[in-house]
Amino acid sequence: MQTIIENLQKHFQVVSYHQQRENLGFLIASKEVAVGLITHLRDYEGFAHLVLLTAVDWIEDEHFQLTYLLHHPEKKVDLGVRVMISRENAEMYSIHHLWEQARTYQRELREMFGINFPGSPDVDKPFILEGWEEIPPYRRDFDTKEYSEKTYFPRPGRETHDPAEYMKKKLYPNE
Amino acid sequence: MSKKLLKWNEDRTLFPEKNSEGKIDVDYDSHKFMKIWHGPQHPGITGNMSLELTLLGDEVMDCETHVGYLHRGFEKLMERRKYIQCFPIVCRVAVPEPDFNEYCFASAMEELAGIEVPEAAEWLRTLVLEMSRLQSFLAWIGGQAGSLGQGIIGQWTIYLRDLILDRFEELTGGRIYHMYMLPGGVRGLLPDGFRERMTQNLDDIDKFMKDVKKVMFDNYVFKKRTVGMGVIDPAWINPFGITGPNARAAGVAKDVRKDNPYLKYPELDFEPVVGKDSDIYTRADVRRRDLLMTVDLIRQIMAKIPDKGDIRAKTPNVLHWKVPAGETYSRAECTRGEYGYYMVSDGTEYPRRINVRGPSYTHAVALLEKMIVNANIADVAGLMVSLHTYPPEIER
Amino acid sequence: MTKLNDILSPFTAWKHVVREPVTIKDPLNREAADRYRGFHKNDISECIGCGTCESICQNAAIDLVPVDGVETKDGDSGLRPRVDYGRCCWCGLCVDVCTTNSLSLSNEYTWVDEDPDNFRFVPGAENKSWDNREKGYKKPGNGYELYSPVRESMEELEPEQRDQSFIEIVQGYSKEQAEKEADRCVECGICVATCPAHMGIPEYIKAIRNDDLNEGLRVLYDTNPLPEICGRICTHKCETVCSVGHHGDPLSIRWLKRYIADQNPAEEYKKILNTETLQPTGKKVAIIGSGPSGLSAAHYLALMGYQCTIYEKLPAAGGMMRFGIPEYRLPYDQLDKDINYILSLGVEIKYNMTIGKDITLEELNKQYDAVFSGTGLHMGRSTRVPGTDHPEVYQAVDLLRDIVLGNEVPVKEKIVVIGGGNVAMDITRSLARLQKQKFGKVDMLTTSLESEDIMPADREEVIEAREENAVIDPGWGPVEIETEGDKVKGLHVVKCLSVFDENRRFAPKFDEEQKKFFPADMVVESIGQGMDLSYLSEEFKEQLKMDPRGRILVNDDFQTSVDWLFAGGDMIQGPDVIHGIANGHKAAMGIDKYLSDK
Repeated sequence: MQTIIENLQKHFQVVSYHQQRENLGFLIASKEVAVGLITHLRDYEGFAHLVLLTAVDWIEDEHFQLTYLLHHPEKKVDLGVRVMISRENAEMYSIHHLWEQARTYQRELREMFGINFPGSPDVDKPFILEGWEEIPPYRRDFDTKEYSEKTYFPRPGRETHDPAEYMKKKLYPNE
Repeated sequence: MSKKLLKWNEDRTLFPEKNSEGKIDVDYDSHKFMKIWHGPQHPGITGNMSLELTLLGDEVMDCETHVGYLHRGFEKLMERRKYIQCFPIVCRVAVPEPDFNEYCFASAMEELAGIEVPEAAEWLRTLVLEMSRLQSFLAWIGGQAGSLGQGIIGQWTIYLRDLILDRFEELTGGRIYHMYMLPGGVRGLLPDGFRERMTQNLDDIDKFMKDVKKVMFDNYVFKKRTVGMGVIDPAWINPFGITGPNARAAGVAKDVRKDNPYLKYPELDFEPVVGKDSDIYTRADVRRRDLLMTVDLIRQIMAKIPDKGDIRAKTPNVLHWKVPAGETYSRAECTRGEYGYYMVSDGTEYPRRINVRGPSYTHAVALLEKMIVNANIADVAGLMVSLHTYPPEIER
Repeated sequence: MTKLNDILSPFTAWKHVVREPVTIKDPLNREAADRYRGFHKNDISECIGCGTCESICQNAAIDLVPVDGVETKDGDSGLRPRVDYGRCCWCGLCVDVCTTNSLSLSNEYTWVDEDPDNFRFVPGAENKSWDNREKGYKKPGNGYELYSPVRESMEELEPEQRDQSFIEIVQGYSKEQAEKEADRCVECGICVATCPAHMGIPEYIKAIRNDDLNEGLRVLYDTNPLPEICGRICTHKCETVCSVGHHGDPLSIRWLKRYIADQNPAEEYKKILNTETLQPTGKKVAIIGSGPSGLSAAHYLALMGYQCTIYEKLPAAGGMMRFGIPEYRLPYDQLDKDINYILSLGVEIKYNMTIGKDITLEELNKQYDAVFSGTGLHMGRSTRVPGTDHPEVYQAVDLLRDIVLGNEVPVKEKIVVIGGGNVAMDITRSLARLQKQKFGKVDMLTTSLESEDIMPADREEVIEAREENAVIDPGWGPVEIETEGDKVKGLHVVKCLSVFDENRRFAPKFDEEQKKFFPADMVVESIGQGMDLSYLSEEFKEQLKMDPRGRILVNDDFQTSVDWLFAGGDMIQGPDVIHGIANGHKAAMGIDKYLSDK
């Protein structure tokens, strides 16, 4: 793993590499170099298998983290490439030409996080949701509880009591 | 029965003309094309997924996979639940093999929190994962046979699966959703007499699988419909992210249990099952042999599993367990391929993000859409089942 | 290419036609496995309604509801879980986390009903056919715990290190220990009702977990202005009802409180508590006695902007906390930390002022808008057995006071203490230390009416006293102190069979046949204290109404029958520090109400 990273550093600027465990590491790449780096990892380093592509919403820092998890079938190691992109007009270069299944991931990210991947086939087609009008639901600012309270109705007859509050009411209401 | 009726009509003069790129333009107004929906009814093993097929005669010209019928937003739900509260819901991501969700979730969390699981619990987890694989394979074989019209196989294997569910019931307290592997360990040791009953069940399975081999695999009709059908080119393995039996049937010995060993697999003796021809028949046969290997693995596990010992590590109070900030990916080999959980913690009591990597994600969409083109409508079901896809792990 | 075998082999399926069927004959009555997670059972006499089942349930399937026949009392909220089977997923986490182990799942799994609302039920309170089923899912053993049942151990001085000196024994938690201990809390809040001051216990424990000790201090001062003191010597009634204590050690609530107070430096208190500037009302309140209730009243009155003056008979503040509790339990610097903070809020204190002698109550009334009295119980009670009037028979409170004041304290080689409360333990252990200093050995014997299991002293006090080589021999009733001239010979006792009658009234029964003699050259009585109201004039006493037990009658605001006089502390409730703090606080609010209305 260490040699791979050293090799990589000759060609790319590798930021904050973190070895999570013996066979898994994460690094941060900038949006501009990410696709080049991933292509290099696939074609020259042997990370031929795209395990997953997903996003994390760091709403406090106003960015999304895209994680491209790559697997090396011979060396049996994984490398996570983390790319931070702005939440505002979130957009990322597509990698559908590198892996066939990437377009599915990108379509899902477009729908669930509202991250656009220009050029990715069918990226604007609904994937899981149909007729969704709210903000993309996997964003942190989408409140599932509020949505469900708005959309559904609770079954009547439910009430609960907090033990401490209830005991105060019963045992020392005036204090 | 004349030979002609069974055969593919190779006379293409009745077909629309190909365009300059050698493809056929789909023009519904020509009344030569028909669009039909395959699914989303749940016919058995494929789950609630639908294929939007464009047909020309009985040949599939185009296919689009539609998922979302079982979307429950688990990944989002988990973000507003404490870690322990995620434990009862992760298993519901995949009905055929809930335990892989439990294991991947627990192990990712244990890795971030730095928890060592006791020895007995590790063995029990290995046992449960293999039992889970076994019952999933049994259900699948019935489904594959059923998709090609052999109802009897399903009746046998679902019975065999029920025997394993009985063992699950006494070990974990649940038949389908076991909720057994919680972060830190497991919820119980082997009950008294479990070994004997399990050994009896495994013997039954061995016996029945011999009949399954005779009736299904050494069957002229089954071979006729599956040999040479739905071939996955070995060159597609990496570009499509193919894992599990689908890859092994193409001769690529990909098996997470060997490649990135977890739990007690390093102490077990096995070799990944591989095939050569990569067609529906080979995939079915790889799964059949994988099933028998799982039976053997369970026998090995039963010989080594301890009867006593702690089943759960000491952990912080689960009601306010803060997992240190970090991210990791935990994977395991389920019957369909590589199952994984990508977990991001921000140091609070709630997970920041959990992403489930179900193997069907690649198999059922990109791969299926590619393979199904030019197939006969009668083979669509068999082809779908042969990829062993399961929609809830796609849409989660 | 086609093998003949491929055509014939499928026909082997026919042999199954004659196979015996594998289906279950009566599937509706198939019994589930022993561990099956079926319908809920709850032993509602064990259940305390702590609600951890509700808080762990990710489906929100559990509500806590009042149940007929279950009373709300100390340590029991009176609520019981109601399960909604429209939501339950039978994961059984509620069983795993149940603090009393009352909740379990039976292995019954069929229930047919026409009314969907029936599937919302209170297990244990509504009779179900599976209530008596033995089989089903219970909390697993073998090291399976969702929270630790074991208390984080506290560093203490070894008996050899401590028995000669008055250095504080308990070392206090480190950050790591405190956070680990705080982690055990299940946040049920059952303890809040039992704490006389109703402190926000789950909240300040949570502050420790979050490592936000400033917030912790603010929670403490909401209800308790003496956290350093309470963190050491509180009778911690909260711990006796802690839900975690039902199957494991209760939370170490007292030590956690001490941890918060210890970690916050005194000089930052005003900033943390936001008391740097207070809005004065221009009204003045006199407070008699600087014990817990007086200090507590002064603190909350000062926060409300009243100018408070405390009149203290002795040369130092703290009352029983300073003059009753030995230094090894409550070091003076910690006592001063709490007191000095209260004084820094503008509270004035006048030492060596005896009411009735240096200034009268009537004069205070003229000079101030209201008066609070918390003069406590400082007069030791006597057993009044023959011989108690001998000069070598002493009162524990007097000796303890003299130790603090630095007066000479008589220490003999062989001492017997009568009493089984914390004061008895305090004097036993203090005298043991003095014996060790003077004679190099300890020869203390403490006897009480109560047998070992019902001794009112804290358990750890008894254990530690024994570690320090004092003999504790409970369950004896004093008969006579044998004296010879100016010397005491010893104490005659008889076996005490029971202390209380069936109505919990004090009515000791003795077995006159079982006798014992404890030789001694000095006897100390420590069976309780009474109040000394000699500072009140006779005509004033006549105005003041008393309750049937001889205590001053007060209303809910701790206002006496004389409207400008409020009273609290041991005279009214207790005796202990935390009651004093609680009713000092309530009296302060009562005074505010009284003065705002006026």
